[in-house]
Amino acid sequence: MLASITSACLLGIDGHAVRVEVHITSGLPGFTIVGLPDAACREARDRVRAAVTNSGFDFPNRKITVNLAPSSLRKAGSGLDLAVAVGVLVASDQVPGAGIDDLAFFGELGLDGSLRSVRGMVSLVDASPVADVVVPAAAYAEATVYGRHQVRCARRLVEVVEALRGDEPWPDPPKPGAPVPPIGPVVARDLADVRGQAAARSALEVAAAGGHHLLMVGPPGAGKTMLASRLPGLLPPLGVDEALAVARIRSAVGETLGIGELSTTPPFRAPHHTASPVALTGGGSGLLRPGEVSRASHGVLFLDEMGEFAPAVLDALRQPLEDGVIRITRAQAAATFPARFLLVGAMNPCPCGEAGPEGCTCSDGERSRYRRRLSGPLVDRFDLRVDVQRPSPDELLRGEPGESSAEVAARVREARARAAARGVVCNSRIPRRRLDELCPVTPETELVLEGALAGGRLSARGLDRVRRVSRTLADLEGHDGPADVGHVRMALILRAQPLVAA
Amino acid sequence: MDLPDEAYLAAMAAVPGVGPATLRDELSVRSPEEAWGVLRGRPGAPPDVAELWGRHEAAGVLVVGRGHPDYPNALRDDPEPPAVLFCRGDLAALDRRRVGVVGTRRGSRYGLDVASRLGERLGVAGVAVVSGLALGVDGAVHRGLLRTGGAPPVGVVGSGLDVVYPGGHRDLWRQVGEEGLLLSEMPLGVRPTRWSFPARNRIIAGLSEVVVVVESAQKGGSLYTADEALARDLPLFAVPGPITSKAAKGTNRLIADGAMPLCSVDDVLLALGLSSPVGSATPVPEPGGVSGRVLDAAAHESVTLQTLVDRSGLTLPEVAAAIDDLCRTGWLAESAGRYERTTPR
Repeated sequence: MLASITSACLLGIDGHAVRVEVHITSGLPGFTIVGLPDAACREARDRVRAAVTNSGFDFPNRKITVNLAPSSLRKAGSGLDLAVAVGVLVASDQVPGAGIDDLAFFGELGLDGSLRSVRGMVSLVDASPVADVVVPAAAYAEATVYGRHQVRCARRLVEVVEALRGDEPWPDPPKPGAPVPPIGPVVARDLADVRGQAAARSALEVAAAGGHHLLMVGPPGAGKTMLASRLPGLLPPLGVDEALAVARIRSAVGETLGIGELSTTPPFRAPHHTASPVALTGGGSGLLRPGEVSRASHGVLFLDEMGEFAPAVLDALRQPLEDGVIRITRAQAAATFPARFLLVGAMNPCPCGEAGPEGCTCSDGERSRYRRRLSGPLVDRFDLRVDVQRPSPDELLRGEPGESSAEVAARVREARARAAARGVVCNSRIPRRRLDELCPVTPETELVLEGALAGGRLSARGLDRVRRVSRTLADLEGHDGPADVGHVRMALILRAQPLVAA
Repeated sequence: MDLPDEAYLAAMAAVPGVGPATLRDELSVRSPEEAWGVLRGRPGAPPDVAELWGRHEAAGVLVVGRGHPDYPNALRDDPEPPAVLFCRGDLAALDRRRVGVVGTRRGSRYGLDVASRLGERLGVAGVAVVSGLALGVDGAVHRGLLRTGGAPPVGVVGSGLDVVYPGGHRDLWRQVGEEGLLLSEMPLGVRPTRWSFPARNRIIAGLSEVVVVVESAQKGGSLYTADEALARDLPLFAVPGPITSKAAKGTNRLIADGAMPLCSVDDVLLALGLSSPVGSATPVPEPGGVSGRVLDAAAHESVTLQTLVDRSGLTLPEVAAAIDDLCRTGWLAESAGRYERTTPR
């Protein structure tokens, strides 16, 4: 007796359709799973046996062979449990086989027959070749993200079987509960809380408007983290495609999504500086998991205390910064994850933190070692580099509150709309071949750039970046023509070299 | 095989723990070859004198003992003359008028600017500059001098001539050896030690007619050079700096203790009895308007962009434009994200 059930398994962040074939025959009683299952997948045997029995069905005391096709694909995780259990019940005639081909089953089983969600439900359902899917109730929100499938959900194996037998209707989906939790550890707060800091505020606005990477250097307590945590509030909400991509990644790393509207808040990720290279880039043996760069995709990756990250970890960022994707290659598998993030770095000017000729107690060696932790090519990728100083007590106590996030965000939206009208997502991604068309140099601005190049304030590599930032500055002022001298000068100032010694 | 006296001097100088004083004492009672016989048993002494000597000859390093005809005249009557000197370059550089210029390794923009101008001025006047090839002021003064090509630099170092220290000055080191004179008390291959820098400083003072300390912290190594200059009754100048600046603490203290303040680069030439060869250039008028306000806001410290905005009361774009103007005209210089006032040339 044979049954064939549709399901899917996760590799990286993508789902792959899998057929679970169950064959029950006479012979020495046994239960084998073949078709490249990993350990968690092979343990389905014990979970399925207990769940079937504890749900009040008979577990056939015969020889059961489960094949996971295509057998060349490695299957990881416990998401195939439900499909295996349904297959066993169909093959042993406890559930009618008619119409079973039009359904796909996803989910992990508990020993008591309860259904549990697994990582990557968004992608698993997306990979389903059939339109009707059965998922655990806990995964309902994720299963409905794409909205292309008829999603049925259940809390227990019994409910699935009763619905398949036609004894009971499919249970109702869970009601929308608590609001969608914000992504990441730092909740977007208002820019109005930041007093003074005109230069840093300006850099933050430009970063949001043009997607330019930002490096803030300053002593402890200057407000670098405070500024960075305001960035998500300035970014425009995600578009549908971006929101879907974000939901896919969040689901694949095992975050629970809220029921109802798709979250359009850009992610904000702030990994600690002890992060390993793999934690940042993604990977891991066997199943490839997305790392922080992918989880920050379409949002902000904030590296606080950047000087404390291992240099190897930081240099691993260079390729994704350039390409917008990260390619993970292991002996067992390879995957490409999105990694299009806005990088915000914060660091102290030196190990003791008190920059400047006064106050610093670091030796030359310590300072140069600290600086070397950020490689030249990485520093070069920051279009915006600002020195953040501690605000004066006067400013803290009596300073006017600054502009609110809403005001700045409105200008950012406006500027992004101007960039979009030219066919670019944001100005930092203006391709080189379109630079002369979109960021033209006028005779006046050429003089300024020439002066900066001659005076050593600007490198040849920095030139293109300054042109893009000038474009963003012009856009923020609602200025569609070529960037003028003022914009170029601002762009130059916002790209000071805060770390390289004289 | 017959080896010259200098071969034994080189071997003795390579023995760890044997400093200039020990060498002088030994050589006052024995010939170099006999003295070597006494010291050769010390731990770490070079095993093969001939091999060491061969290396110096192959490297083209001139070795002069106190009896050698090329031994610098300036050091013959020194209270603590080096027993042996290792030279690369042209010893004729020492026949010129000589000024020692030293200072902190971590100079402010202002200090480096003064050092560099001093180097240029002395170069134009044809005065050789003796310095220690360290980071900061030492490097700046020699670079300034080399720009003019008017006089040879004299570098006195604390390690063997093939042991470049600091590594960042490899090019300068080579250039000084080619266009001027590189001197050391240490044979090839000897690494610098803590005491080799103060010892080197006495040679700088010994070779100079006037010593200028550009910037020095409270306990800076440059103060050793100042002490050595005083011990030799040399005119000693210190460049005054802001009393709030760490880098100027030592130099300001020197002035308080009686060193002459260097009020103009030309003061050094006057001390040498040289009249100023070119009339001092008319000062460039200070910029006014917005640029003037930003320049005033910079005062004479190293400040950040935010400080300039706060102090000047101008908007960020206005300050950005002014900084660009001032950097281009030479009124401001940027380093490590900070801005500092300079004087346009």
